[in-house]
Amino acid sequence: MTRTALILIAVTGALTVGSAHADVKRGEKLFEECRACHAVERGINGVGPDLHGVFGRKAAALDEFRYSPALKKSGITWTRQTLDAYVADPQKAVPANRMPYGGMPEAKDRADLLEYLQQAFK
Amino acid sequence: MAKKLKEVDVVLVGLGWTGGILAKELSAAGLKVVALERGTMRTTENDYSVPHVRDELRFVHRHDLMQNTARDTLTVRNNVQQEALPMRRLGSFLPGEVVGGSGVHWSGHTWRWTDEEFKIRSLYEERYGKKFIPEDMTIQDWGITYAELEPYYDKFEYTAAVSGKAGNIKGQIQPGGNPFEAPRAREYALPPLTPILASQVFSEAAKNNGYHPFPRPSANASRAYTNPDGSHFGACQYCGYCQRFGCEANAKGSPHMTVIPIAMKNPNFELRTSTWVTKVLKDPSGKRVTGVLYTNTLNGEEFEQPAGMVALTAYAINNVHLMLLSGIGQPYDPVSQQGVVGKNYCYQTGASATLFFEGRHFNPFMNAGGSNATIDDFNSTNVQFDRAKAGFIGGYNVGSGFNTALPIGYRPVPRGTPAWGKAWKSATAKWYQTAMNINASGAVMSNRYNYYDLDPTYRNAFGLPLMRMTFDYKANEHRMGEHAAKVINDLAKSMNPTSLNTAIARTEPWTVVPYQSTHNTGGTIMGTNPKNSVLNKYLQSWDCHNLFVIGANVFAHNNSYNPTGPVGALAYWTADAIKNRYMKNPGPLVSA
Repeated sequence: MTRTALILIAVTGALTVGSAHADVKRGEKLFEECRACHAVERGINGVGPDLHGVFGRKAAALDEFRYSPALKKSGITWTRQTLDAYVADPQKAVPANRMPYGGMPEAKDRADLLEYLQQAFK
Repeated sequence: MAKKLKEVDVVLVGLGWTGGILAKELSAAGLKVVALERGTMRTTENDYSVPHVRDELRFVHRHDLMQNTARDTLTVRNNVQQEALPMRRLGSFLPGEVVGGSGVHWSGHTWRWTDEEFKIRSLYEERYGKKFIPEDMTIQDWGITYAELEPYYDKFEYTAAVSGKAGNIKGQIQPGGNPFEAPRAREYALPPLTPILASQVFSEAAKNNGYHPFPRPSANASRAYTNPDGSHFGACQYCGYCQRFGCEANAKGSPHMTVIPIAMKNPNFELRTSTWVTKVLKDPSGKRVTGVLYTNTLNGEEFEQPAGMVALTAYAINNVHLMLLSGIGQPYDPVSQQGVVGKNYCYQTGASATLFFEGRHFNPFMNAGGSNATIDDFNSTNVQFDRAKAGFIGGYNVGSGFNTALPIGYRPVPRGTPAWGKAWKSATAKWYQTAMNINASGAVMSNRYNYYDLDPTYRNAFGLPLMRMTFDYKANEHRMGEHAAKVINDLAKSMNPTSLNTAIARTEPWTVVPYQSTHNTGGTIMGTNPKNSVLNKYLQSWDCHNLFVIGANVFAHNNSYNPTGPVGALAYWTADAIKNRYMKNPGPLVSA
């Protein structure tokens, strides 16, 4: 099976698990993997940019954060799908980006995490 | 003329692990705390993230996070007959000089030192008789016990995100852990790091030889973690840039991302960077300190900062230097063996073999600071290991696994390979991927002739005498080195490598080059009475009760282990003694 096929399945998996079944509490716990660098509150940039309102935002959009050239050139708009692929394997989704994170391989984990993020900004 | 500032409750000299812990604990207890740090502010986001980090030239060769020897250094000699000369470039050890101190560039190895160290003289005399300890070996009991320190080890390990496998929980030996460790109350904060191939191959061989390998406990978060103070850690990415670098993933337990930012949020705490303390001031009675004198290194302006209490929380060497410069306590004299300040300077020793396995790829660029496997079968905690037969006091640990095997600096080649040219190039290309090491780190026992004092000739940028270090390895270390080399070589041969650079016990005198270990200990040691030590068991000066001195400089001798475990634990222990006892009733916490 090709890697693209795997990603597609992963993305579809995330979609079919869907909002109704995703576990927000579990997602919050999984966000611990991100919290050392990212805040969900607006205006708190740490090692990584704040994630407030990330859905629908263009990659490398915050003026005050110093993004990698790779992310600036990526042309990505962050959606459930693009974030799912990025979190699954950051260096595969955007090669040479600077986020020091190996990835979250389980589709269910990512679904819960992204559901938590989406809820957090409501 | 120094400008006199408004008095504060506490002045901390240096802001690394010990200063950070005291800053957080004492400001939370309501004390007005000022920290004076020689270095500048550094943060993960501004200084340790890509592309700033992973720069071997900047951090390893230009010592970006380390003390600048053009401003202050040591003079060094091997024995009292020699004339000491200044160490003009860093080499054998690397004291940190930034906010976070050496706690930024350490590897994270976090060990618990036990009663085998704290009661060393009593235990050796009991087991082997008084005559077993050489006359010039000035080892002595530390005045503290493992049981007293256990909760504070625990506190430090959970603060710094130490990953490991317990070997002994409340007396029950745990499979997979270190069977020789002292009993701990509970598991480590996090499970062990993922072993790398070199540590797996070593563990297998060690087991086959009847030894007891275990994963090295290290403050590299094996997975994302939030510590009891609410500091967030990312998971270690095994990036291979740990020792001498800040951590880009906030996975290495460091004061700049744990205790210091918590203190900084407290209005009781103030940090002044680029400040150099030149003297601790005493009142006319000499029984109390009244504050410190310091210079703003950006403009040369001098200040007096009065304080109700002073804590020296700088690098071990600099704490001792400041005590000598301030004239607190009687300087040690190796001839008469009178005096205590400067006494029992210790270092570490070691032996190392490189094993080459044709066709086997070890990926040395991928590792954590602590993804090593270790054996303690010959270490101080294994009391079954017969010292009478081995002929030395103390012990050593043996380990394997890469820690920061850098792409430029790490170039293993078999002995006999030319040092440059075509043959070297082809050898380094062939063996870079296919070599691994087995290393021993050995203890150094205190000796009456290994000590610090003020240099009679050389001065630093502030016109003050440099500190003079007089040190060499003695017979105990030479015998330990021979023993370790034999153990390593037998183990290495049993693994059947294609080629082997055998471990060779060192016999030559110690020198300041190349890098060896930043584990300098002693100089202001803790002890049972003012005649044999500078500090009591609460790291409080016997001379001035409102002066505390914290760091590896309080160790009465050195072990084979890295010092940060007890340094962190003792900082919490002292903070508690100050908060719970000293603040209620200021005065000596131990009567002399």
